[in-house]
Amino acid sequence: MSQELDLKLSQKLTFDLKSAVHKNRLVGLWRVLTGYRWLYFGAMIAIVLGAFVRVYYYRVVQYVIDTVVDAGMNPQQLPWLGLSFVGLAVLEGLFAYLRGVWSAETAEGIALRLRNYLYDHIQRLPFAFHDYVKTGELIQRSTSDVDAIRRFYADQALGIGRIVALFVVNLTMLLRTNTKIGLLSVVVMPFIVLLSYWFFGRVSKAYDRYQDQEAKLSTVLQENLTGVRVVKAFARQAYEIDKFDRENWERYRLGKKLLIMHSLYWPISDVLCAAQTILVMAVSALMALRGEITVGTYIAVMGMLTWIIWPMRNLGRLIVQVSTGLVSYRRVADVIEQDREDIESGSVPPDTRIRGAVVFDHVSFSYEPMEVLQDEEEKKKDAGPEKKGELKPVEVLHDISFRCEPGDVVALLGSTGSGKTSIINLLLRFYDYQAGSLTLDGIELKEYPRSLLRRNIGIVEQEPFLFSRSIRDNIAYGAGREVTQEEIEQAAQAAAIHDIILTFPQGYDTIVGEKGVTLSGGQRQRVAIARALLKDPRILVLDDATSSVDTETEEQIQQALAVLIPGRTTFIIAHRIQTVMNADLIVVLDKGRVVQSGTHAELVRQPGLYRDIYEIQSRIEEEVVEEVERGITVPELTFKPAAIPAS
Amino acid sequence: MAQSYGFEEEEFTTKFNGRVVLRIMRQVTPYWHWIVGFIVMIALTSVGDSYFTYLGKQLIDEGIVAKNTARLTQLLMIYGGLTIFQAFTVFCFVYLAGVLGERVQYDMRKQLFNHLQALSFSYFDKTPVGWIMSRVTSDSGRIADLVTWGFLDVTWAALNIITSLTFMAFINWRLMLIVAGIVPLMLAASLYFRQRILKQYREVRKLNSMITGAYNENIAGVRVVKALVREQKNLEEFSQTSREMYHAAYRAAWLSALFLPVVQIIGAFGIGAVVWYGGLQARVAGITVGGIQAFLSYLSFIIWPIQDLARVYAEMQRSVASAERVFSLIDAKPDVVDREGAFDPGYVRGEVTFEDVTFRYEEGKDVLTDFNLHVEPGEHVAIVGPTGGGKTTIVNLLCRFYEPTSGVIRIDGRDYTTLTQHAIQSRIGVVLQTPHLFSGTIRENIRYGRLDATDEEVEQAAKIAHAHDFIVEMEKGYDEEVGEGGNLLSVGQKQLVSIARAVLANPAILILDEATSSVDTLTEARVQRGMEALMAGRTSFVIAHRLSTIKRADRILVLKAGRIVEVGTHSELIRARGHYYDLYTRQFRREREQVYGVGEFAAASAS
Repeated sequence: MSQELDLKLSQKLTFDLKSAVHKNRLVGLWRVLTGYRWLYFGAMIAIVLGAFVRVYYYRVVQYVIDTVVDAGMNPQQLPWLGLSFVGLAVLEGLFAYLRGVWSAETAEGIALRLRNYLYDHIQRLPFAFHDYVKTGELIQRSTSDVDAIRRFYADQALGIGRIVALFVVNLTMLLRTNTKIGLLSVVVMPFIVLLSYWFFGRVSKAYDRYQDQEAKLSTVLQENLTGVRVVKAFARQAYEIDKFDRENWERYRLGKKLLIMHSLYWPISDVLCAAQTILVMAVSALMALRGEITVGTYIAVMGMLTWIIWPMRNLGRLIVQVSTGLVSYRRVADVIEQDREDIESGSVPPDTRIRGAVVFDHVSFSYEPMEVLQDEEEKKKDAGPEKKGELKPVEVLHDISFRCEPGDVVALLGSTGSGKTSIINLLLRFYDYQAGSLTLDGIELKEYPRSLLRRNIGIVEQEPFLFSRSIRDNIAYGAGREVTQEEIEQAAQAAAIHDIILTFPQGYDTIVGEKGVTLSGGQRQRVAIARALLKDPRILVLDDATSSVDTETEEQIQQALAVLIPGRTTFIIAHRIQTVMNADLIVVLDKGRVVQSGTHAELVRQPGLYRDIYEIQSRIEEEVVEEVERGITVPELTFKPAAIPAS
Repeated sequence: MAQSYGFEEEEFTTKFNGRVVLRIMRQVTPYWHWIVGFIVMIALTSVGDSYFTYLGKQLIDEGIVAKNTARLTQLLMIYGGLTIFQAFTVFCFVYLAGVLGERVQYDMRKQLFNHLQALSFSYFDKTPVGWIMSRVTSDSGRIADLVTWGFLDVTWAALNIITSLTFMAFINWRLMLIVAGIVPLMLAASLYFRQRILKQYREVRKLNSMITGAYNENIAGVRVVKALVREQKNLEEFSQTSREMYHAAYRAAWLSALFLPVVQIIGAFGIGAVVWYGGLQARVAGITVGGIQAFLSYLSFIIWPIQDLARVYAEMQRSVASAERVFSLIDAKPDVVDREGAFDPGYVRGEVTFEDVTFRYEEGKDVLTDFNLHVEPGEHVAIVGPTGGGKTTIVNLLCRFYEPTSGVIRIDGRDYTTLTQHAIQSRIGVVLQTPHLFSGTIRENIRYGRLDATDEEVEQAAKIAHAHDFIVEMEKGYDEEVGEGGNLLSVGQKQLVSIARAVLANPAILILDEATSSVDTLTEARVQRGMEALMAGRTSFVIAHRLSTIKRADRILVLKAGRIVEVGTHSELIRARGHYYDLYTRQFRREREQVYGVGEFAAASAS
């Protein structure tokens, strides 16, 4: 079963969901069905046939009763009649089974299609998108909303189909049996449907309030647990108990209210249904008594009536649920509609060997904020004039020019917000520049397929992101090919992390993150260095921040970098004068502009930001000496900072 | 290693644990009259349900076939009356069982929460917050469901089967025997399917959480994914999990689709037998038309109580597993308890002594070894040293979150285990590095320090803590909401509020954990002054990061690997040119760089 299914699935998975998105949500849901329509149609047919079998069951009962009453029946017939009941049950069961598996194949297949598509789609959406959307929001749309769509196909759409089928088939049969009874059988029906629709609408609101309160209660609990130190330190247990009790009691109160609604609805709808039953029962029993219909007919009528009333009770609930399915479709479609980043196309052949000569020529770049994935409510809330102001493009790089040869070390120096990270983002084509020219090996960067660029650029970030898989997998993560254990260990050794990995009981198989070991910042950085070593990129980007680690680790990281850097064009997002001093080119950035560039020797000779920094560094060293002197000689003196020099 | 390893959960238990069930029952004994109430009501409903079918038989036999209009009218009246009566019983049992369910949840959550407040710090160190949360929220709900809807469904189903069989016996006992023979078969089939379906769904849920995890990681790490061009490989990996999910979910749906038809077909054999045998009987006038009709109704209806029984049985296994976990939380004993005869001395001067204190969280790994320290009332002690040196442990021990493995800690000369925890903790004030605030207003958060403080006292405390200025700048002043965990305030503001909170508590002994993260200069200065005001006249332990705080201390302890490596005043330690000297000069450089505004990109030594 499994292999055959897999094959069928693969064909259906290649379906492009983006072209299927439609403004009208029902049309959209219909288009998503592509490839499953026949199957789903089959499930619908099974429902209708099942309804017919139900009706025929009562027909046979009618026949049995009437012939038995007339006593004109051949006893030889009885076993066959008995068997026909089994036959009908088998048929009904078969249709129910087919409906079940076909609808499951459809609904699960579509859920799978959506999950895979969203997973891939989200990782291929541009940075401009990810900058503006919260992780939790995306996860929710990919999980709970997809599940709501799954339920729409599996339960709700078919449930409504089933109710309609049972209603139509049974009512038609009743009308054909006796028009008067048929018409009488739907007199109370509208009230039942209206009542259930009204009730389930109301109850879903009450339920939301109850859920909100549940969330509030969870918050109190969570704050208490995470703040256990504070609670204990202030000995506030009794106070906390009171606070929790208040929210807990409120939840109880809301739950009670919800239950009172339920406890009223069910008996009232029972009474309505019973009124419909008694009405038909009284009329048709009298008719049977007078001989206008046979006893068998009476029994069949009562049976069919059950299958008209019972489903109608659920119609209101299903309609309310369908509306949530439609909302979820919209939320998922919002994500699907976004444009992906094209990582493959570009005029440069994908196997081009990159040397690493980079030229920035009057490059300017602004972030263009986009309006993505807002809920209707949020949209209303945010529709203030001040919000519109925020949506103006923000220029972060202005007229950037510098050049470097293959193998050069370029230091980017500047404070937060000066544009260092933006330069790197352009280099990897996470964003595209709007003005000027940026070339790699003499070819405009926009001509390169993004995948080619990214395969040739390695990044070691300040706080590298590791995945919750084994250390081995993390190191091999970006290699883009099969790597042997030896290669991984070599990379780890070069990155000075091998010995630490061996101290873990599971060695290279140790899982990183929540479910395994927590690595320190310095360790994570060295794993990232090993990862970059295995990738063997032509261009290297280093975020050289070592302020968070101790001296020993700092030295080890420096040694690891010394292995990594030679022979590659290297961009260092610099925080240290020491690294900068040896760079082939230092680019000093301030507020998105290049204020100075050159080598250390050149820059210290000219007045400017660089020399200021350098001088301050030297001055601080003098101050350290002074401070120590002061500590020794005048112990009680409180330190007062010198006046800040205007820079 | 991963502490959470011990907290993988088994979602349902296969063995039936009578002890746990008994304990669940004991939980609800205070509400026995509610339970009796809904059981009586559901019993009446259940008997009513069976009687309706019998009424249908009477209607046919005594009304229609007998052509007795009067009797027919009478029976219809009874039918109507019974409907009204049933509406009443339905109302009662939904109300009683539902409200009781909410009540039981309320009680259990309260009990769990209260117990959590009594548990020691060590419990929270070892137990993930998420684990505790799901005990208090979802597990308590599952137990409440069992004792209400679970009991209710079982009562209804069992009674319905029994009364139906009784009515059938009343109509024709031979036919009843056929049905009685088939019911166990249907029940067995139902149980089998329910069990399988439940297991399959557990698989689905497991895979579902894997899928959520995969989404989470890929979105959070999207920068790395893109930079390393991992998209295709990631999709392939994800497809495997999502396909497994597909197959598991499909299998669950397949079992569900098979379930009812199979049980129904077994039932159909019963119907066939009734028709065949009943038809023969009818010829010898052993059964009436209405009788046959009644049998057919009973047989096609009996599938519902049967499948209810199977469902409750399957769910009960989950509930029992839930109960086991909840009880394990309730049974957890606090490590630190008040000794027999522990007392509250009424007044504390603030003299603190550590005598040969050794402490370890686990065997063989001392985090503090032979620690000795004597602190006079009002003395200020700064504790410095690298992470993992034992600084936090000293705080934990002093607050008696933990007790020493060996050695004695004295407060005012008394072994502190002779005092109550409340006596100690209400006299020690703590200001943490990452201050924890609670949802609510600023005023409420400050008042946390002393619950009966007036608004004036709260403001007074805020003024002393130098928090008043920023608070009145806020739109709603003291009534400004701080958000979940205080997230609407900046770190510095949170610190100021937590200082004010400590001022209000007016403790004799103070523990300050200075923040390493830098805040804006203005707030920084306020925090600084606030702390100074708070420390004045109190015995203070400061885990210090700022040089000015360190230098002002009466004594500086340098802690490394659980031992004091250096102790003395600032000038003594500078002269020693040891650990403190290194630490100090390093920190000095960093602070100066910040002063000059070059800290961002020139943080390290140029020497």
